[in-house]
Amino acid sequence: MRLKNRHVLGWLEASPLALVLLLFLVAPIVMIVIVSFWGATEFSIYPAFQFDNYEFLFGSPVTYRVFLATLKYAFITWALTLAIGFTVAYFLAFHVRSLTMQIALFLVCTIPFWTSNIIRMISWIPFLGRNGIANQTLISWGVIDEPLEWLLYSDFAVILAFVHLYTLFMVVPIFNTMMRIDKSLLEAARDNGASGLQTLVHVILPLTKPGIMIGTIFVVTLVMGDFITVRFMSGSQRANVGRLISNDIGLLQYPSAAATAVVLLCTVLIVIAILLRFVNIRKEL
Amino acid sequence: MERRPRSFYVLAAFFALFVLFLYGPILTIGILSFQGPQGGLTFPMNGVSLHWFRDLFQEQAVGDIWGAFRRSFALGLMVMATTVVVSVMAGLAFRKRFAGSALLFYAAITSLVIPSILISLGVGLIFNQLGLKIHWATSGFGSQLTWTLPFGLLIMFAVFNRFDKSYEEAARDQGATSWQTIRFVVLPIIAPSLIGVALFGFTLSYDEFARTLLTAGSYNTLPLEIFGMTTNVTTPVIYALGTLTTLFSFAIIAACLLGVWILGKRRARLGSDAGKGV
Amino acid sequence: MAILAKPKVGYSRRSLLKAGGAAIAASTLPAPMLWAQDTKDIVLRQFGTGVSNLNDVANKVKEDLGFTLEMTALDSDSVTQRAATQPDSFDIADIEYWICKKVWPTGNLQAMDVSRIANYDKIVGIFKDGKLTPDSEIAQGTAPHTVGFIPEPGATTFADEQTNWMTLIPTIYNADTLGIRPDLIGRPIESWAELLNPEFQGKASILDISSIGIMDMAMVCEAMGEIQYGDKGNMTREEIDATMAIFTEAKQNGQFRAFWKTFDESVNLMASGEVVIQSMWSPAITAVKSRGIPCVYQPLKEGYRSWGGGIGLSQSLSGMELDAAYEYINWYLSGWVGGYVMRQGYYSAVPETSKEFMSENEWGYWFEGKEATDVITSPTGDELAQAGEVRDGGSFEERMGSVACWNAVMDENQYMVRKWNEFIAA
Repeated sequence: MRLKNRHVLGWLEASPLALVLLLFLVAPIVMIVIVSFWGATEFSIYPAFQFDNYEFLFGSPVTYRVFLATLKYAFITWALTLAIGFTVAYFLAFHVRSLTMQIALFLVCTIPFWTSNIIRMISWIPFLGRNGIANQTLISWGVIDEPLEWLLYSDFAVILAFVHLYTLFMVVPIFNTMMRIDKSLLEAARDNGASGLQTLVHVILPLTKPGIMIGTIFVVTLVMGDFITVRFMSGSQRANVGRLISNDIGLLQYPSAAATAVVLLCTVLIVIAILLRFVNIRKEL
Repeated sequence: MERRPRSFYVLAAFFALFVLFLYGPILTIGILSFQGPQGGLTFPMNGVSLHWFRDLFQEQAVGDIWGAFRRSFALGLMVMATTVVVSVMAGLAFRKRFAGSALLFYAAITSLVIPSILISLGVGLIFNQLGLKIHWATSGFGSQLTWTLPFGLLIMFAVFNRFDKSYEEAARDQGATSWQTIRFVVLPIIAPSLIGVALFGFTLSYDEFARTLLTAGSYNTLPLEIFGMTTNVTTPVIYALGTLTTLFSFAIIAACLLGVWILGKRRARLGSDAGKGV
Repeated sequence: MAILAKPKVGYSRRSLLKAGGAAIAASTLPAPMLWAQDTKDIVLRQFGTGVSNLNDVANKVKEDLGFTLEMTALDSDSVTQRAATQPDSFDIADIEYWICKKVWPTGNLQAMDVSRIANYDKIVGIFKDGKLTPDSEIAQGTAPHTVGFIPEPGATTFADEQTNWMTLIPTIYNADTLGIRPDLIGRPIESWAELLNPEFQGKASILDISSIGIMDMAMVCEAMGEIQYGDKGNMTREEIDATMAIFTEAKQNGQFRAFWKTFDESVNLMASGEVVIQSMWSPAITAVKSRGIPCVYQPLKEGYRSWGGGIGLSQSLSGMELDAAYEYINWYLSGWVGGYVMRQGYYSAVPETSKEFMSENEWGYWFEGKEATDVITSPTGDELAQAGEVRDGGSFEERMGSVACWNAVMDENQYMVRKWNEFIAA
């Protein structure tokens, strides 16, 4: 009786969440899968069961290039955010000694996260432009004679913006796991003659892995699903899958957008499934 | 006091650079928003003035910033309230390890990792095919919840992972019903974390762009309006807007921190009131 | 003064917006009301590109006609999408003629009774029989008159000649060409082919709106002598492939700095010096110039690529709202708006009436291609030209007389759109 009660009560309490996810997550995914087999005219879509959209998608060399570019963005951004995020978290967790100071510095890192992404993104443009601050400064220092063209509207600009926007998603979970590491472990390592580097590699790094994984999941999915950063920072010169989808949406080619979306979703879910094998999110929070 | 190792200074310098990297661009547009009336979107500064802030409060050639702000604020509050209530309920549910909880958990994770544009597209398509009108308060609201609820849920996990069950057991031993236990024991203890959930709910909604893009209907929310402005505005008024929204976000955070601080003070003064209400 | 007066207008407009929803619901009730009172409550929802969806127009409508015009500005693709798929979301569609060709068959728009349009006779010939003067040749592409009329109300196909049923009431139009920064280029530019000249590598731009961009591309490819089109306005698949191949190669060689989607983006690209030659629209040139940056709307020997916009009525408009919409249209053609857009560098569909709302100097400069006798200012008061300067390209007849093609929707449009998407992603 009590056992049954537990399940019923559990479902009752979880039902609002389940309902929202059913209506606004599961149903849209189902809809996208269905529509990916539909046909489109110039301004409307009609029910059908055809593979045209997938044929066109997989038949175009551009698709493969764009998927590759998406993975490239995800990988480079991941590597950079991990390096920066780990270093920052390590500094906060092990080199800052008072808790108040730790919290204060941590807040300093998180505050920009609460402001508009689009504003943060476009704020790079006056900085990086051909006549922007960066170029003018470098020229006035005599480092370069000609403005650097690749600062803006390039892969560099795209990745810079990604790192700027998403490093925090790496810092927070890594910092969180580091704070839970028992300090006596580090002392034990030192007492046994481990150098700072050895402690880092053999003690801290393995213990921080869950945080790294959670951060990785955030960064990888955010970058893979992005479509707006790439548009702004590359001046529409580069593309990732999100942009492929948003272009199709703009041109009213919903079934084609849906087909691309299905492939993207599968890619993301496979990546996440692999990552989840390394970490039990619920335990690590 | 132990001497700082050399690595400390290297790391501290790295940290300082990182902070500069985070704040630099925001400062740039903060400065540029004080451009003179003839100034453009880029340096050099063409005089210093409050012109563009004044301009912001007047009607723009296209669009309606303040209407968008009001909508975003209202939507943020709606999402915030819903997120807090639904996450707490779900958090309580997951402690019971009910049948199917793993499935629901993975659904929530999917909701978190799914590319936002898919939600936008899918919800837009459903409303379109059902002949319903998309509106920021219906389709937009639902789409944003798919983003805020998983965050709320994860925070609740973190909270309950650290939750000492003995308080509840004590309450139950003294004859409290399960509702009384939740109302007078659990909720007061987790209250500060709920402020965190609320803060997340509000700011995630207030800044949400991709999931609202195709689901907001005729009236723009603020991020959509800002997005529109990046393509429709050629003056520093957009920077003035950026500066103001940033300050607004800061104000919200400050209010929340103040809330947590006051709660902490009260608690310290009264001692833990957990269980006392029974 | 203006600073004090303006917010009031904004405020009253917004508070009326709020009342707007209620007003629509109320006016569908058959309760008899006084006309004067109703007019105040009527809200017409107009959407279109930022080009003509100006809040100034809405304010003037409120002032002159008494009812409220709600404006939503979107980019061209979103405009098409909304007109085609969300007929309930608007009362008045401010669209381009090529969009009309796509959208009309959906039946979301209703034809307008020409006999209710007071200034119909004064509308320029381009929108009626397609000819600027009786001996003009009609350019390639979706020329406005080909999609301007339908044989009878409810028809989803277009009529070959003028009828009593108009699809769109022409509002503004222009002849487009490349915009350049003469100070950064330093030599004369005469041909569309210059857009792909390696000299401007990393400093060129083109617009990312397929139906317009493809025509700019075609002008360039033809000028380069790379492709001879049968009809630029209706390309074959092979022609589309060949055009895209040339531009994809240029893109991969780093010819383009960026693509733009709304005209303000083109302003920013040009004004910041990121780009020195690009496809551009007239008010964008105006905006760059008003910052004191030299910018020329360069006439080219191959001719102009032209476009036209018009307003259409939603199928769901009826009764008092429909009457108000006709009133709005007649007001639109009566000159105030015409004068306003002409001072931005566009043309009014009824130049005669606009003349009354412009000074002699303005009319001479913008329309007749004469030397300015005094300072020319934009509608917002920025100085655009000094006395003695002449408009790029000259008079109305010179500019609209050398149109080489119109923005177009082709038979192979869907194929083109997919190829375009590939080009953007390539």
